[in-house]
Amino acid sequence: MVDSLIGIESTAHTFSASVVTSSGRILSDVRDVYRAPAGGGIHPIEASSQHMANAPGVLREALLEAGIPIKSIRAVSYSMGPGLGPCLRVGAVAARSLAATLVKRIVPVNHAIGHIELGCLLTRTKDPLVLLVSGGHSMVVAFSGNRWRILGESLDLTLGQLIDQFGRHAGLASPCGTKVEEAASKSAKYIELPYTVKGNDVSYSGILTAAKNLLDRGVAFEDVCFSLQETAFAMIVEVTERALAFTEKKEVMVVGGVAANLRLSEMLKTMVRRHSASFRAVPPRYSGDCGAQIAWAGWLEYNTGNSIAIVDATTRQSWRLDSVDAKWRDARRS
Amino acid sequence: MEGCQTKLIHRGAEADLLLGRWCGLESIYKSRKPLTYRLKVLDDAVRTRRTAHEALMLREAKRVGVRTPYLYHVDTKGAVIIMEYLKGARLKDRASGMSRAGVSAVFGEVGTMVGTLHSSGIMHGDVTTSNLLETSSGLAMIDFGLSTHTQRIEDHAVDLRLIKETLTGAHPMIADLALDSIFAAYRKVVGGARLKQVKRQLSEIERRGRYARAD
Repeated sequence: MVDSLIGIESTAHTFSASVVTSSGRILSDVRDVYRAPAGGGIHPIEASSQHMANAPGVLREALLEAGIPIKSIRAVSYSMGPGLGPCLRVGAVAARSLAATLVKRIVPVNHAIGHIELGCLLTRTKDPLVLLVSGGHSMVVAFSGNRWRILGESLDLTLGQLIDQFGRHAGLASPCGTKVEEAASKSAKYIELPYTVKGNDVSYSGILTAAKNLLDRGVAFEDVCFSLQETAFAMIVEVTERALAFTEKKEVMVVGGVAANLRLSEMLKTMVRRHSASFRAVPPRYSGDCGAQIAWAGWLEYNTGNSIAIVDATTRQSWRLDSVDAKWRDARRS
Repeated sequence: MEGCQTKLIHRGAEADLLLGRWCGLESIYKSRKPLTYRLKVLDDAVRTRRTAHEALMLREAKRVGVRTPYLYHVDTKGAVIIMEYLKGARLKDRASGMSRAGVSAVFGEVGTMVGTLHSSGIMHGDVTTSNLLETSSGLAMIDFGLSTHTQRIEDHAVDLRLIKETLTGAHPMIADLALDSIFAAYRKVVGGARLKQVKRQLSEIERRGRYARAD
């Protein structure tokens, strides 16, 4: 009988459950995604209502699809944070209920650590410099001295927020990444936007204002998408390159929802080629939020003895990934 | 510059450092090569701007008393700066093996340098341990491509935030001691009142960061 663990993701628009084995095989990954109305973003209460309605079905399906006996499940993990409060609470309630029913331990997982560790598993990278780009994060991260450390990040908006808030201004519904990417690919006309790199950090608020203004002045949507992508991506690739030169890591990996953007991947690939490092992007199916990231990171945590009592399974809306002790990595190294 | 014998000694993130001669002097050629991932018009603009800027600021920093390489020649179009070759070790490579007293002393020097720049209205913009060199004649600062003239507390706090980020990110074992030493020395230059303001702004910037605890 293979040991496995069920993980529950519920930080924002996605409610997902996944069963992953101790060797990292994903047996199931079932999702339900809240779609915001056109021009709007995630409404936390509405998203959480949808999660509440669909949680039982998603959990059931994830367990059935995995096709394993319940007793092979060692623990239940869930995304404790960071994320939207109402959504996080649905995941915590689901995890507590499931753990109480199955009489299993609960493992709290940091959502960002989940992205990174699942990325490492799927891309077979061991010690990468990680670019985590999503609606919740825009960070350059590397492992050093028992933790994943932040080497650079956005000082204000995340890349996902920039793209979504711009897209919504143009009347699209979140998430807008695919539509903005598609429109950008139809243009080659660059309009200068604020290029703001501060040391290892970037700032995106200037681009958002300028890009919205361009739209309001009647500049073609495609041209603004193109200019926005070129500027915003070049900035984050530049700070990634700085961190790469600084850390001298041999692998670069991109994860998070925006990792699915092909232009960003192409730029990163070009950048990495200049250094003696390899480049990996997480497969698109697992770049965005999913239960598998919580199940796999949950397994790593569980394996190092990190589980909590049901009563302690609360939520943390604000929780930086560099405050998590990644004991499993220490063990692997020494 | 063509025909000049140069040897690549370091490939940085945005520039190659080549060792060569200029007017008979051993010199560093800092060449901002085109970054092909960036759109050409954007790349040209960024490289030209930073080259011109760095040349200017290297001199400015020296004027206010911070040890920087002497500037020999600038080619903004080609994005090349030719400057004095400072022999020394990057603080990045030295930091981890230092004694506690050593950390205190050298990061105290960093604090003095940054304080000196700030009190003269200069923000370095990229104070990491790879841009600080330990030379036989003391600590020197390089890479002024992101520096700017500014008196804003926010900008000075951004400088210190980067130092903090670099120390906690890359040198976690000595970070606390190094930071304390930096702040103590910085305070001596800019004064207690200014330090307090900058520190307050630093926490403010950190709070703006994603998922930072609001405390």
